[in-house]
Amino acid sequence: MSATVGAALVQAAALVALVLACALPLSGYLVNVMEGHPTPARRLLGPVERVALRLVGVGAGSDAGASATPSAVPSAPAAPASGEAAGDPMGWKRFLASVLLFTAVGFAGLLAILMGQGVLPANPEGFPGLPFDTAFNLAASFVTNTDWQPVAGESSLSYFSQAVGLAVQNFLSPAAGIAVAFALMRGIAAPGTGTVGNFFADVVRAVLYVLLPLSLALALVGVWQGTPQTFQGYETVQLLEPVAVDADGNVVAADDAAAVQTVTEAVVPLGPQASQVSVKQLGTNGGGFNGANSASALENPTPLTNLLQCAAIPLLPFALVLAFGRMVGDRRQGRALMAAVLVLLAAGTATVVAAEFAATPQLAAGGAVYLGDLGQSAGNMAGKEVRIGVGESATWAALTTAIANGSSNASLEAMTPVGTLAPLVFIGLGEVVGGGAGTGLAGLVGFTVLTVFIASLMVGRSPEYLGKKIGPAEMRMATIAVVAPALVILAGATVLALAPAGAAATGEGGPFGFSELLYAATSAGGNNGSALAGLDANVPLVNYVLGAEMLLGRLVPIAAVLALAGSLAERAAQPAGAGTLSTASPLFVGLLLVIIVLVGALTLLPALALGPVAEAVAGAL
Amino acid sequence: MNGKTLMRTAGSAVALFVAATVLCGVVYPLVVTGVAAAAFPVQATGSIIEVDGVKYGSALVGQSFRDEGHLWGRPTVADATTFTGDDGQPLLWYGPENLSPASDAFAERVAERVAAVRAAHPDQGNAPVPSDLVTVSGSGFDPHISPAAAEYQVGRLAAATGRSEEEVRGIIRQCTEKPLLGAIGQSRVNVLKVNLMLDGIL
Repeated sequence: MSATVGAALVQAAALVALVLACALPLSGYLVNVMEGHPTPARRLLGPVERVALRLVGVGAGSDAGASATPSAVPSAPAAPASGEAAGDPMGWKRFLASVLLFTAVGFAGLLAILMGQGVLPANPEGFPGLPFDTAFNLAASFVTNTDWQPVAGESSLSYFSQAVGLAVQNFLSPAAGIAVAFALMRGIAAPGTGTVGNFFADVVRAVLYVLLPLSLALALVGVWQGTPQTFQGYETVQLLEPVAVDADGNVVAADDAAAVQTVTEAVVPLGPQASQVSVKQLGTNGGGFNGANSASALENPTPLTNLLQCAAIPLLPFALVLAFGRMVGDRRQGRALMAAVLVLLAAGTATVVAAEFAATPQLAAGGAVYLGDLGQSAGNMAGKEVRIGVGESATWAALTTAIANGSSNASLEAMTPVGTLAPLVFIGLGEVVGGGAGTGLAGLVGFTVLTVFIASLMVGRSPEYLGKKIGPAEMRMATIAVVAPALVILAGATVLALAPAGAAATGEGGPFGFSELLYAATSAGGNNGSALAGLDANVPLVNYVLGAEMLLGRLVPIAAVLALAGSLAERAAQPAGAGTLSTASPLFVGLLLVIIVLVGALTLLPALALGPVAEAVAGAL
Repeated sequence: MNGKTLMRTAGSAVALFVAATVLCGVVYPLVVTGVAAAAFPVQATGSIIEVDGVKYGSALVGQSFRDEGHLWGRPTVADATTFTGDDGQPLLWYGPENLSPASDAFAERVAERVAAVRAAHPDQGNAPVPSDLVTVSGSGFDPHISPAAAEYQVGRLAAATGRSEEEVRGIIRQCTEKPLLGAIGQSRVNVLKVNLMLDGIL
């Protein structure tokens, strides 16, 4: 391992340590705000919360007001007025119906905005409404927290579509994920009551107390550092060196014989970017304001914004994993899951970082290109920005795919074959290594239940997790939650690869072309949203297949997880006995890792062998 | 769950969507815009470099430079068909290259760029070319190059502009930003700013 790789890994480790240091207190805060406990933030925002809860029909409720003054209120008369502890708690079926209806409403609203942007306000560039297939894909993408984008924002979306359409889902989709995670945690912790909380109260609280304040702070740092935030139209600037276009519209030198018109001006896309970029990073969304995402110096102008945006990717997923321990009353359980996540994350990050510093023989050009680190970043600078460099781009690529974020600060397409393989594996494993806000924790608990079942069978005990018996019903749901994303991915990839329109959409044929299709199918089914940009994604077939994948890849596991939460919530907790399997031991964490890798490998290896692996082998021959 | 509960749930879903659209989609971006306009007016409107009423570009958007007397930035893949100005004139914009660095097409492009860069810098002989001078960035409009890539061009710039190499290096130094805390991010030279200073505009 070279010194540059070592230094980059030390820096990545420091970043993750910083995130953990922030996630630890944030996890306690999350539990307090989501469970209606009194916190200083609730004293400030409590009135807004109460108005919002009344508006969405959650009883006068929440215990926030009552528990803020616990000793002053006699408990008996207060009970009927303030309702149950979490204000109108739902059983898992009503919770799931709420998730589905809320997703449907968001989808319809966003579809209408995108198709109607031509007649809506805040459209200084005069973009027309999107065609149905593009709008369908984009709406499915943003309500499912995927943020795959078939078109570049700066050249197709109005400010209204961005700020009022997409950015709103950037808040609501992670909030819905957090609600599902809390439903699962409540189901595990419930003493046999059968309820898992109120979905609408959860979304209100996650937006108001977590996503809005954090996004506001990060947005203001972004503008300070240079990210645009305005509703004015795009700027036009003078070029110091004019160029020209030929008859086909290709850009040529100003003195080129084929030139038919000189080009003396360039465009600078503006818009309410900072407010959207911050929530894109914090809410595991990943959809950039601009096509170039955070590789654009407008979205991500300095090393400071890069550091904060990169740290924002895993912040909420990590805090939720740690909150799990608090919610089930045993913090070691959260730490054990966190340890499994960190092991996988470290392996993936080290792989990408080493591959990108090693670069490729095609770039080295027989020694004609300098790839050392004197006065520049070492390694593969293709597709990377000078201000960020190779190490921090590789770290971001690992984080954004382990966490189901999908934003990028470099071109994934321009990464080395091994450098793209690790992100693809991360997404293909499902939302496990951090995953999306809420959905990641749910996926991880699904795998944990599966591991508990297998481990218990191996030692001949009846399976139980955190005091709850794991029966056939629980196993069915955990299995669906674990394998559904992989099934959706493989089905999508199959359709894309077999349909002529799918193959025609690839930028390059052969193994690399298949990699592009597989990556797109994986990114959509895994609700990640990152892309190998060579794929011409904005064609109807690709839009529909990927849109359907995104919806199924999100809603099927959520339904299974909520059913799991519901059946666990109905079970009475039994005290741990001498024979109870420890689920916080290093041994259990090791077994969990084996199960995650095995399931991932069994489902994805054949497909990977046809794409990135074939590519790497062909390159080495 | 009966039909009445379902209707009530649907009502809650619509109410929450509308309330969130107002709060997160209207109030929130307007608050950020208001604070930005008051506290960071230059950054909020694109960090435009304006001298005597002429807007020369954004400090955050790279341009393509190939003149003898200009510092060259990273290679660009320019496009003049996506955006048009008020009078219908084409406006330049940039995109990424989207080529796998393990592909033959990529190897050919790199070889062409190396040849072009070396032809313009005979004083550098066969010295290896800094990698950022022959690779397209992730955005396609990277506003910076590395100090190594700037130093590579000093001889040519001095000869073409009639300045001493030390003067050229002084300009480059003025337009160089350091990593945060010495370790986060990279040292970088803002190409447009250097060229505006070389042209005597800044």
